Amino acid sequence: MTPGSGSAFTAPLAAAAATLAAWALAGTGAALAVLAVLAGAIVAFHLWNQHLVRRWAFGSLDAPVPEGRGSWRGVFTAIHRRMRLRAQHQRDLRLTIERFRRAAEAIPDGVIVLDAHDLIDWANPRACEQLGLDLARDRHAPIVNLVRQPEFLAYVAAGNFAESVSVTTIGERRRTLSLQLVPFGTREKLLLSHDVTQVEAAARMRRDFIANVSHELKTPLTVIAGFVETMQDLDLDARQRARYLGLMAEQARNMQRLVADLLTLSSLESEHSPGGDERFAVLPLLVQASADARALSGGRHAVEVDPGAAATVDGNRDEIASVLSNLLSNAVRYTPEGGRISLSWRVEPSGIGVFAIADTGIGIAAEHLPRLTERFYRVDRSRSRATGGTGLGLAIVKHVLLRHQAELGIVSEPGRGSVFSVRLPARRVRAAPLGDGPPAEDATTSTSSHSGTGS
Amino acid sequence: MTEHTIKQFDADLEAIRTGVLTMGGLVEAQLARAIGVLENDAAEGLVDRVGADERQINQMQIQIDQQCAQIIARRQPAAGDLRMVLTIVKITNDLERIGDEVKKVAYKASASPDDKLVRVRFYDVVRAAGLAQRMLRMALDAFARLDVAAAAEIVDSDDELDAAFGGILRQLISYMMEDPRTISASLEIVFIARSIERIGDHAKNIAEAVVQAVRGTDVRHATAAEIRAEVAGP
Repeated sequence: MTPGSGSAFTAPLAAAAATLAAWALAGTGAALAVLAVLAGAIVAFHLWNQHLVRRWAFGSLDAPVPEGRGSWRGVFTAIHRRMRLRAQHQRDLRLTIERFRRAAEAIPDGVIVLDAHDLIDWANPRACEQLGLDLARDRHAPIVNLVRQPEFLAYVAAGNFAESVSVTTIGERRRTLSLQLVPFGTREKLLLSHDVTQVEAAARMRRDFIANVSHELKTPLTVIAGFVETMQDLDLDARQRARYLGLMAEQARNMQRLVADLLTLSSLESEHSPGGDERFAVLPLLVQASADARALSGGRHAVEVDPGAAATVDGNRDEIASVLSNLLSNAVRYTPEGGRISLSWRVEPSGIGVFAIADTGIGIAAEHLPRLTERFYRVDRSRSRATGGTGLGLAIVKHVLLRHQAELGIVSEPGRGSVFSVRLPARRVRAAPLGDGPPAEDATTSTSSHSGTGS
Repeated sequence: MTEHTIKQFDADLEAIRTGVLTMGGLVEAQLARAIGVLENDAAEGLVDRVGADERQINQMQIQIDQQCAQIIARRQPAAGDLRMVLTIVKITNDLERIGDEVKKVAYKASASPDDKLVRVRFYDVVRAAGLAQRMLRMALDAFARLDVAAAAEIVDSDDELDAAFGGILRQLISYMMEDPRTISASLEIVFIARSIERIGDHAKNIAEAVVQAVRGTDVRHATAAEIRAEVAGP
């Protein structure tokens, strides 16, 4: 079949031929001697090769296949070829496994492989991070010993893995994880963990938002309905009627403000963020905002403006104006009479433009700061409503700033006052003044040429 | 013991250990709920859940105690195995006490008047509770992994918690001196903070019990540095 198997007979044939030749030439004695020598040589050759095979087969796994001679060469070559093929397969397999392992590690969700006894066999880094595991230490540990949440244990015990279970983790950061067991193979399982903290928070915020809006609208409506009923039932004199109508009008204004803020928020959420196609000068904006603040204050506060360096900002003027007006009206409302409110603009050396609104008002305690821009979040409910706040001002500010890739900074100390700063990214700020010379030309052309493609 | 009984003993002991950790998981969940009460979470029946948890924790302790008595009577473990069984009894005892303290925290917090001053001061208490929560988690993880190195860290955290408790106390004292009308509300907060501080102590006990179970040395009254030296050994 193979060349090797054919050549196995060449040596004996040659030996037989040599023996025959010796017999013909030198007689029986010589023929026997030649036969014995040649047979001995053949046996020794095969024994040696057998020894080589034995040494290789029982030796280390990495030892190379020995080199053979004569009829053994083919055999050794065949073995060698098979070994090489096998090694190639193994390498391919290892690469495939490695690729799958890499893929499993890269999955943005947590994946844990559990063996038949629910012991941890493998986990990807995300799972370790989410569930506080350390694979080096926790390999072969029961998963239920380390993920101890009663909800998860009940889920494991119930054995209905068609659904997932959500658990809350304890640690530096409280997280809500959705865990699901997926049986595979004979008795192994996959434990998948997915971080749903944001999803849950968003769902809760939506629920809270609806409840809050309803509540905020109900309060003034109740007041108005009450007065309407009173005026229907009672015969009032002109002075009383005027007073009640005035109160009703005030409540109606509160509702209007609230609805207007809600509409602003919803349009901010649905529209695309403004590109670089709009540009406005900072100075007129400062002048207008401070004038509005003075009007709102009605002379009860000293309102100062520090216009800083002349500059223009790429962005939506109306939106930035509403940010300043919201922050200034907060400053006016939360600063006692006689306080000082200052509005300033400066361009930092890095090119970042900063509006700062500082007041000497009542300040905000540290624990409220992280939640301040949430809708309807109020440090002090009664005070906010008494001063005509809708609870949406800072939420609008946050949204506008998000759209302009700007940041809101709040520094505050109870009793000492607060500083709200708006940091606009350097690429939206230009030091060139608007209004004279080529920059103005540039600004007008860019506004008009892009107005069609704008949001 | 024959090989079969050794294997059976190991399986029994492992089952009890998992039982202890299940109980620990419930205590952790109960503590998380109590912190929810402190944070003024409006969820329905949160306080009642904490009470129900406490009753379930008590039942679990009784059950684990019985299992431990049984394993001692039937298998007569010696040396390290016996130490582990005794440690489990100790740990369940501490877990049950934590359950009691958590219940006190939730009940007191829900009963305290909803005035603004109290809420503001809860802020520090919630932070201390978070610290106690972390210690409990670390202690139970150390027991699950029989990780003695974590024990010293827990003892350090306990010092931190004690300091936080001291801070709350000083703050409340100054409030009470300023305005005697705040005394009754402040006292309620003192009790809550005291319970949280006790939770930390019990978590520390659990960590020390883990060291004892693994090393066989009693580190109950040792300092963090001494425990570190102990667990650094062979």
